[in-house]
Amino acid sequence: MGLLTDPRTGNGKIIKFVLQWEKWLCFFMYIGGIIWTMLLALPVFNDSTYFSENALLPGLVMKECSLEASAKQFHNELIEEMKRYPDKMPYPWLLAKFNQLYLDVYMHNFTLNYPFREQQFTGQNVYGIVRAPRGASTEAIIVSVPYRPISSVNLNTAPSIALLLAFAKCCRKQKYWAKDIIFLVTEHEQLGMQAWLEAYHGVTSGQDGILMSGDLSGRSGSIQAAINLELHGMKIASVDVKVEGLNGQLPNLDLVNLAQDMITKEGIRRTFQRRPDVNVKNKVSKWWYQFNTLISMIVTQATGVPTGNHGLFHRFGIEAITLEGFERSGRGPEVSFYQVGRVVESIVRSLNNLLERFHQSFFFYLLPSTDRYISIGLYMPPLVLIIGGLFIKAFASWIRLQDTGIKVEENENPDTKISQLKQNKVEEFDIASIASEILWSHIIGVSIMSSPKLFTSIGSQLWDLPTEDSIYYGFIVTTVLTMFWPFYLRRPRKSDNVALVCVVASIEVATTLLCVAMHNFSLALLTAIIYVPTALAISPKREINSKFRGLLHVFWILLHPFVVASILVMGYTRLNFPGEPLMSILIKGIQATKHAFVFSVIDSMIYGNWFYNVTVAILLPNWILFWNVINSKIAFDS
Amino acid sequence: MRYLIYLVISTLLVYGLPYSTAQDDFFDEELLLKPLASGHVYAYFQFTTLWEAPNNVQTFQHSHLFPRGLGEIIGRHKVDELHISLTEGLWNYEKWGYPVHDAGSGAEIFAWFNKNVSNVNNEWKSLTNALAGLFCASLNFVDSSNSMSPEFSFRPTGIVKEPPNSSYLRYSSLPREIVCTENLTPFKKLLPCDSKRGLATLLNSAYIHNTNYHSLGIHFRSVCRNAGCTKSSLELRQTVSLVYDTLTEATQDWSIRKLFGIGIKGACPLASLSNVYIDMTSNETVHVYQLTPSPNTKVTSFRGGQQQQLAVYDIRTYSNRGMFNIAAIYTTPKTSSVTYPSVLYANRYIIGYGQERGSLVTKLHNNHWQSLDVILLENIPWYLPVYLHTVKVICNGQQIKPLIQRYMPGRERTRPYYLELVLRLPPHSVTKFSIELDYLFLKWQEYPPDANHGFYMGPAVITALLPIARNYTALPLDGSTITSSFNASRNGYLVQLRTESLLISLPTPDFSMPYNVVCLACTAVALAFGPLHNITTKRLVLKNVTRNWKKKLLSFVKRLTKDTKDKTD
Repeated sequence: MGLLTDPRTGNGKIIKFVLQWEKWLCFFMYIGGIIWTMLLALPVFNDSTYFSENALLPGLVMKECSLEASAKQFHNELIEEMKRYPDKMPYPWLLAKFNQLYLDVYMHNFTLNYPFREQQFTGQNVYGIVRAPRGASTEAIIVSVPYRPISSVNLNTAPSIALLLAFAKCCRKQKYWAKDIIFLVTEHEQLGMQAWLEAYHGVTSGQDGILMSGDLSGRSGSIQAAINLELHGMKIASVDVKVEGLNGQLPNLDLVNLAQDMITKEGIRRTFQRRPDVNVKNKVSKWWYQFNTLISMIVTQATGVPTGNHGLFHRFGIEAITLEGFERSGRGPEVSFYQVGRVVESIVRSLNNLLERFHQSFFFYLLPSTDRYISIGLYMPPLVLIIGGLFIKAFASWIRLQDTGIKVEENENPDTKISQLKQNKVEEFDIASIASEILWSHIIGVSIMSSPKLFTSIGSQLWDLPTEDSIYYGFIVTTVLTMFWPFYLRRPRKSDNVALVCVVASIEVATTLLCVAMHNFSLALLTAIIYVPTALAISPKREINSKFRGLLHVFWILLHPFVVASILVMGYTRLNFPGEPLMSILIKGIQATKHAFVFSVIDSMIYGNWFYNVTVAILLPNWILFWNVINSKIAFDS
Repeated sequence: MRYLIYLVISTLLVYGLPYSTAQDDFFDEELLLKPLASGHVYAYFQFTTLWEAPNNVQTFQHSHLFPRGLGEIIGRHKVDELHISLTEGLWNYEKWGYPVHDAGSGAEIFAWFNKNVSNVNNEWKSLTNALAGLFCASLNFVDSSNSMSPEFSFRPTGIVKEPPNSSYLRYSSLPREIVCTENLTPFKKLLPCDSKRGLATLLNSAYIHNTNYHSLGIHFRSVCRNAGCTKSSLELRQTVSLVYDTLTEATQDWSIRKLFGIGIKGACPLASLSNVYIDMTSNETVHVYQLTPSPNTKVTSFRGGQQQQLAVYDIRTYSNRGMFNIAAIYTTPKTSSVTYPSVLYANRYIIGYGQERGSLVTKLHNNHWQSLDVILLENIPWYLPVYLHTVKVICNGQQIKPLIQRYMPGRERTRPYYLELVLRLPPHSVTKFSIELDYLFLKWQEYPPDANHGFYMGPAVITALLPIARNYTALPLDGSTITSSFNASRNGYLVQLRTESLLISLPTPDFSMPYNVVCLACTAVALAFGPLHNITTKRLVLKNVTRNWKKKLLSFVKRLTKDTKDKTD
């Protein structure tokens, strides 16, 4: 072990190397990381999926349910009922149906106190439980459907409710269930599901007093897995498996594989990110196609917003996916509920087989297609490469700030001259002012994070503005104020102190990104790609490279979290409404931005989505620190 | 020749008579069938052996109808009273009412030991081990770490000479136990007619394990032999409780053959009573059905303000015509309803998520118009440490103060957490008991196979004396056979509800390849740490050793001898 402990082996060399090649190293690491990420979609860099959990025994059971006829009957009745209640859930009908199937039926009431106004919304979920004849209600599987009234803007889910009822009817007759099956119909999209889960687990995920989830009158045991159904028609052309959950959490890969396998087994076209697998000979176009699927997943996951009701289960350690069935658009084969029913049945039967809760296979992965995956071991290195540049930069600046005694060889690199200059100065850092600067910027971040309520109350009381306007304008004001912060403490500071702030800010942003990557890789990746190059370029003001300063100013303003968010939403609007005049897109974009801000704040309050909190409480203060570094006046005392 | 015959007869008379008078034991076999309002059918078998003998070791040396294997174990371990149940499924108190014998899911055992047992723990351990062999159940996993001596919940049901002392009581439950054919077979072998004759022929494992709930029970106690209770008898009740779901079938009709796969062949010749009872109380109110063949007699029983109609079939009168079947033919379409929910029922669940901490909640529903006093026994395993200060008993938003509270903190690997509360439940109320608990991180050998399945927590036991006998089927304490429950109005009706057993995910190490890699890497780091620590904390300094001439000479001689030694080698 002497190898590990010899203190003289080349430390100095490494430091010298880093100091000499810092810029190039950072540059190549960034570029290398991005190229590597892009290559992940190549079959060489990923693996084909497989089952880790043997107990699932996928597709080995005799399927006994033929759900088409009963589903059709339920569907016809439901359509009639829905017409009678155009914007409400037909509770009596659902309760009656569950009762007729001899399930244990329960209702769940919940209330939402809208955080920005004195307003209450109520909702009700209906659920029925098939008690397992082979168990003592210690475990449960959930089959859920979000109910959407006719007036809903989302695609209708009446066929999935029909399938749910038909499946419940079939399940009730079987004796082999070892786990209870909970059939759950929720109201108000994700709100109902969140309320039900919070009530089941007796917790509040968001802020207290906003979503009052109440109590459940009937329960089962610990929930092992959940399948959420969103089938939009009685004939299905393709089934999309949705995985992305709240805060970018993903279900166990075994469950995803199980669903994909069963869908293929029944001869249904399977898709991921609404993109079916293609079989192209050309390797480049295949890569490009899979890369696009991968990017689509990364973008979806990065927002931290669940793509379906399944996403809310993940927090509670319940593996869940959504099966979204699309009707035929144009030509192509389509299947009836006979096959779709068999898919659901075989998935639930497999889940019934489970001896342990899902723990094998992967919880962190990316999917470039339905049958290939990229594990965490494969996708983390490129991200570390991208972020690593920041650490190297911080390390190099720190070494330069120290009087280390390592002789930096004389060359034409301007940095080394300065570092030698610095070695002559034997001065202490002004720790107090640096610490107070860092502290204040974070205090500002936290106060902005908790300000939306204040904004709305001011906005609505003084100018009678709607919520989204008050929050939007509030954020604009804070953005402008944070931009002007350096200008009201324009007191010249020593170059060393500014450099130390820069070091601290670099380390902070890099650490934050790595921590975020542990939870939501996609968010960390996108943020790193956007922020790292500019953050690398920031250094204390010097007279030598002042011509780039203007450009740096512009770039860094564009990277203000609120500005980035606005630009992204604008771009998204442009993509969604191609061919519209610029002015109307601008107006639509601003409107969408306003809504996006409100949604992210509300998501944080109701669901405990931390996207908004991390952005405003960590990224924004960090932005302020760098902004101070860019704008600080340096007192040169040569 | 004739002389020889006389000799045989006379020896028979001489030796046979004392035996025949010693065989003062009786065997009764009964089956109660009760269609429940929820659409299920409850079938309860009871095989009762009464033995007019005192409870001591000598008694069990010779047995006639009493199972010898069980008797020996009882005698050797000086057991006064023994209750074992092996159950699969969960009794739904809300919809099904009360069973004759309450049993929590999995295995459950409790026993009262005799006062002259010196070391109860040792007797308990060896008793459960012996019973594990007898019933092929994992009762051998019962030890002091999952046993307790509750003070109020369990009282002796048999006769006692002095006030009971709960230090002679042991209670334990094994909720993970799975009950199967291998338990039913030894159970049947304890019966005097085995499963060859009588009602026991109906116990076919394929049909019994296809039910929604099945429970085997062994209940042993001493009872009074006469009204004055001057002498005691031994009573053994072997019970099988089954709940069939008739709603899944095309029709709701049921019959003996449909439920058990076989008709009734005849009575056990050793049985003094061999009856089938069908509870017809719900007929013509909830369901409408016809019984074929029609029963011998119909009994109307008034008990605790409830009227009960029972059809009684004496098997001996029917079986002389060969195998016979009792069928209920429904004339109305399938129905499932709960007309009168049970007076008292409870639910238990865990709230919170993650593998760090949670909260245990027991909800007690009182549907009676009066307040009810109940005893709540929480049996919490040692790996779920609870915090007593977090106990909350809330009803209608108000904190309820327990009338009596007993608590003994658990100790890791030796003793469970014992908490017993006496609560007064207000009329028509839902009372919520909650306590916070942590999930312990165990040693790696303590995880069972399939570690990620989770750990079970046994059911809570809720004991109460109900003022009315609605949905109540249990026998009175002084009765031995099902017939004793007819017209048996008493001051209170004892129920001992068992709640759900719970599955809890403790923090579980990843027992897989990466886990091993992490362990290996940690070992390597630990090995590397030693030299690192040495080098950083110690300094190698060249030390000048000054030696006197004696030492110099000594070292010189040593070197010399060493050189010669090397050379010779």
